[in-house]
Amino acid sequence: MPELRKDPILGRWIIIAQERGKRPTDFYVDVSTKSKGGFCPLCPGNEKTTPPEVLAYGRNNGQANTPGWTLRVVPNKFPALVIEGNLDKEAEGLYDRMNGIGAHEVIIDTPHHDASFTHLPPQDLQLTFMAFQDRIRDLSRDIRFNYVVVFKNYGSAAGASLEHSHSQLIALPVLPRMITSELEGCLSYFCYKDRCIYCDIIRQELQQDIRLVCQNEHFVTLTPFAPRSPFELWILPRQHSSSYIDMPDSWLPSLSRIFSETLRRLDSCIKDIPYNFLLHTQPLRTGPLEHYHWHFEIVPKLTSIAGFEWGTGFYINPMPPELSCSYLKEVQL
Amino acid sequence: MLQKRILIVDDEPAIQLLYNEEFTDEGYTVETAFNGEAALAAFSASPPDLVILDINMPGINGIEVLRRMKEQCPDLPIVLNSAYQQFKQDLGAWASDAYVVKSYDMDELKDTVRKLLT
Repeated sequence: MPELRKDPILGRWIIIAQERGKRPTDFYVDVSTKSKGGFCPLCPGNEKTTPPEVLAYGRNNGQANTPGWTLRVVPNKFPALVIEGNLDKEAEGLYDRMNGIGAHEVIIDTPHHDASFTHLPPQDLQLTFMAFQDRIRDLSRDIRFNYVVVFKNYGSAAGASLEHSHSQLIALPVLPRMITSELEGCLSYFCYKDRCIYCDIIRQELQQDIRLVCQNEHFVTLTPFAPRSPFELWILPRQHSSSYIDMPDSWLPSLSRIFSETLRRLDSCIKDIPYNFLLHTQPLRTGPLEHYHWHFEIVPKLTSIAGFEWGTGFYINPMPPELSCSYLKEVQL
Repeated sequence: MLQKRILIVDDEPAIQLLYNEEFTDEGYTVETAFNGEAALAAFSASPPDLVILDINMPGINGIEVLRRMKEQCPDLPIVLNSAYQQFKQDLGAWASDAYVVKSYDMDELKDTVRKLLT
């Protein structure tokens, strides 16, 4: 019998329609990547094909926009939103509009073209997580921006158009709907219970141990109660914290380790699984929030969104998170 | 003075015809290819001075053609020319020297070609 599950934060309903005997290997994964081989604009030596970098690690006083880097951040060469100009907010009757101001940057995770993010050593992943912090801090100084969306598309099915490992961020003058819904849901729970809902989720998941995939001194990885996709994963700090950029440096190694372990577990269940991950953090213009808890959400691209999902906002997930979790935990790394 | 050679790659005959006339009038020597495979063959036979490249074509798409041409000839100016904005989100497009959205007003495309060839 299918089961309806309600996401306790967003109020979103998910249909868990388990297909009998479905195993991880039964999911079809399109491993074809676009643009195999050929010229890569993200590779060392091709720095002139990208806009000038805004951040680089590892070059040790070398000249900007030259090889020798271990991680590099560049603005999007063909941005959808532009950095120069004013918002010029205006109304047309009941409709609102403003200029398309924003920043779109690409974080080149590694100089090695064939290195997969999943299999990068934790010390290399740490550079990516540091870069996210550095860039959000820098962009937060621009008062036109209210939020920075940080994400990765991994695999062509998840929208990655180049196999060279990269993440992206987009600074926006407005809050994405997903974040406002999440903030509203968290605030509503906080007003009722005077506790952060994510802290309560972590407490319950640690106790029940049926959706807890792995943990270390600062972080936990779990499969959420009402996931949109099989093997959806959340990585959350154990200690309450609403802002990613306030994460102490001492947590970075454990974040990198749990991320690496989580992705390798996922990859061991389904080879070359395409996924998107998204950082959920508080808006730029607020102080620390008692009701919100930053975290990463990793959503594998194993199911397609069709008319029913678009029309209703319901997702149909063929694998319960408890089963996804048990497969992930079984993996011997 | 030897005329600069432009290779126009587009599967749409009307676009080939229009660009051929316009760029010939501008004083360039124009060659055309109707898909990615034909473009790569023309490029291998004799690299042009500049390529105007459609993206959405049957067979090898324009982004792939771009990457293959740039691998062999990184300094060859290549202008991506698509009816669609959304291919700008494909980071493979970064290998190009410019991205011009198709329009019947060809000033932007002509200006871009002029700048890249001077």
